[in-house]
Amino acid sequence: MKKFVYLILAVVLMGVFAGCGSATPETNVEKAAETVVVEKEAEVTATSEPQESVTLTYLASQEWIRDAEMELAKQFEAETGIHIDFQIVPSDQYFNVLTTKLNTGEATDIFGGQSGKTDIKVLYDVEKNAVPLTNEEWVQRMDPLSVDQVSLNDEVYGLTIWDTTGGSWVIAYNKQIFADLGLSVPTTYEEFKAINQAILDAGITPIYEPVSDGWHHVLWFPEIGPDYEAANPGLAEALNANETKFADVPIMQEALQQLQEMYELGYFGEDALSNTFADTEKAMASGEYAMTVNRLALGEQVEAAYPEVSADTFGYFVMPLADNQIWNVNPAAPSKFIYSGSKNIDAAKAYFEFLTRPENLQYFLDNEPAFTMLSFEGLGVELSPEQQAFINTYTKQGTVYQTAVNYVNPQWMDIGQDLTAMFTDAASPEDVLKNIDQRRTDMAEAAEDPAWK
Amino acid sequence: MKKNKLRMKNTIYPSYFVFGALVLYLLFLLVPGVMGFYYSFTDWSSYSTDVHFVGAENFYRIFFDSSRHYTVYIKNTVIFTVVTIILKTVIALLLALLLTSGIKRFANLHRAIIFLPAVLPLLVVGLVFKSILHPSTGILNLFLRTVGLDFLAQRWLVDVDWALFSVIGVDTWKGVGYLMVILIAGLQAIPNDYYEAARIDGANALQALWHITLPLLMPAIMVVTVLNLLYGLKVFDIVWVLTNGGPGYATETVYTAVFKDFSKGYYGIATALSTMLFVIMVSFGYFVIWLMHKEGTDF
Repeated sequence: MKKFVYLILAVVLMGVFAGCGSATPETNVEKAAETVVVEKEAEVTATSEPQESVTLTYLASQEWIRDAEMELAKQFEAETGIHIDFQIVPSDQYFNVLTTKLNTGEATDIFGGQSGKTDIKVLYDVEKNAVPLTNEEWVQRMDPLSVDQVSLNDEVYGLTIWDTTGGSWVIAYNKQIFADLGLSVPTTYEEFKAINQAILDAGITPIYEPVSDGWHHVLWFPEIGPDYEAANPGLAEALNANETKFADVPIMQEALQQLQEMYELGYFGEDALSNTFADTEKAMASGEYAMTVNRLALGEQVEAAYPEVSADTFGYFVMPLADNQIWNVNPAAPSKFIYSGSKNIDAAKAYFEFLTRPENLQYFLDNEPAFTMLSFEGLGVELSPEQQAFINTYTKQGTVYQTAVNYVNPQWMDIGQDLTAMFTDAASPEDVLKNIDQRRTDMAEAAEDPAWK
Repeated sequence: MKKNKLRMKNTIYPSYFVFGALVLYLLFLLVPGVMGFYYSFTDWSSYSTDVHFVGAENFYRIFFDSSRHYTVYIKNTVIFTVVTIILKTVIALLLALLLTSGIKRFANLHRAIIFLPAVLPLLVVGLVFKSILHPSTGILNLFLRTVGLDFLAQRWLVDVDWALFSVIGVDTWKGVGYLMVILIAGLQAIPNDYYEAARIDGANALQALWHITLPLLMPAIMVVTVLNLLYGLKVFDIVWVLTNGGPGYATETVYTAVFKDFSKGYYGIATALSTMLFVIMVSFGYFVIWLMHKEGTDF
């Protein structure tokens, strides 16, 4: 009898302290989601009396809501009385928080998500979670390639206002440091390595690599997908048909080995694992770093934050891992979706309509230093000489692998974790590729993809 | 009067008094627990509306599929639990002894200061310590370098060899005050007569500690251990705010994995992981309470 009493006592105690964790992981999940959300409300600057008091909640990852959009949200509120409550989540936790909210049916009115066929199907399940926007007027003006990345079974689900062409991730380099050390733009990995070594020897950290965000260092691998494709024509198709695996592609292994070598040789500096993407402009303006992977408009971004540093300080070249010389283009980009469970669908549609008015798109482009063009037609675009030089140099383009190959982008943060493990010798390049294959298989099987049957 | 007291003590209450609590307990804890147990044997996920019974496949993945790293998460959780139990209990005990029989002046103020981290929001603690432990700009390394102890300056949160122990360190700092308060309460409950008798018998301070304080404090130590054990096994938040499981998989624990798997929509394996932990916690908890009772009757 006594034993029975102890057993009951033990179970009750465990129940009180742990039971909620066992059967309802949501409890912890929600708590975490709540703690990481930093609310960033657009201030009210109403010039006219609000007509109705609707508040649209909008969940997005850090960096996805640009300052220009915050300004437009204020104007939208002044015009309609609809307030936008931006909820910004740190990028390393964003997908966990978003998918948790979607899975528990508690998403915000509008949610941000990376577009791309597999993402919108596998990660966000837009057919269930998002409102179709096919009949909205602005869809006709959106770049068809971008429209395709937010469409599923002939329905359009998202709005992409992003620089999908000029927004390519490339290496921005400090021209002054290169000139001082007599360096020129590399065309092979060996040349790139020699440049890094020369910069390191001069007492400057060659590359600012913000690993701590969990996503940035991943760019090095799938962004040079066009190079893998050039070396193995039809590779993306074969991967999507499950006829080959990442681990079986030698050039991918080569690229990862080179990335690992760069980390080990100290080209990313001592603090790479603690560096954050938000500090990029500061780091590059300081002159303590010579290069960083960023969009084709880093110069303008740095100048906007540090006016004493001119935008033309920086030039651009493609990431030369595995001797890549092809311009990586990604038609997929951070996009906006309206949650199907929202009570304010019309208000959210009105917000999208407001943002996509030609004058507002132009305002967005003119006031967003990181963007040189937008995924909408009919806007005035001005390229700097450095951007023009890049475009003139790299005439060959290709689609990045996170978009060309299924089930890659949804595991972006996992690849980030694998690569960090590789940097710290807890995993090898082969392990990273095998893990990618494994997760692709898991996702494809769970999604009952015919190619995996 | 004496008789009345005795009668009060021996009163037996009817068993239906417990029914209300039992129903709530069954409905909100036991039934979901059993359901979780069932789902841990299925492939329940957000990708498909069908739920198939897959036998022990989820558990096979957890324990035998090394490419999925679950065994690393379990190892990290065990290390975290064992080390924090030892560190927190020993430090809390030392502080409790110091602040009950050592330092008398401003004892309450010291207690309050040591207890303070326990009431700080975890997110704040995470942000503050991320900044303190930054390898080049954090004040800990700056301090070490300033006083010439460069060799002690580490990449606290981003070095695979240090990250878990840094998290343990921060957690100990935050949690030790709370345990100290429990132990102080235990210490204050020990009658002074025992110490006086021991002194008359010629016992020194160490002998008094060993033969009087520790045995009589054992129930409080057990409570502290059980609390620590449960907290340690289900640790999540401190890891989440400090390292998010990184660098690589160096600080990933069972519950961060549950959270990540759940948010990816793999409910089956996430439930299997928490079920596994539930079983472990019930077994350990039962063992500790049994031990506590056994020890308790000895004295």
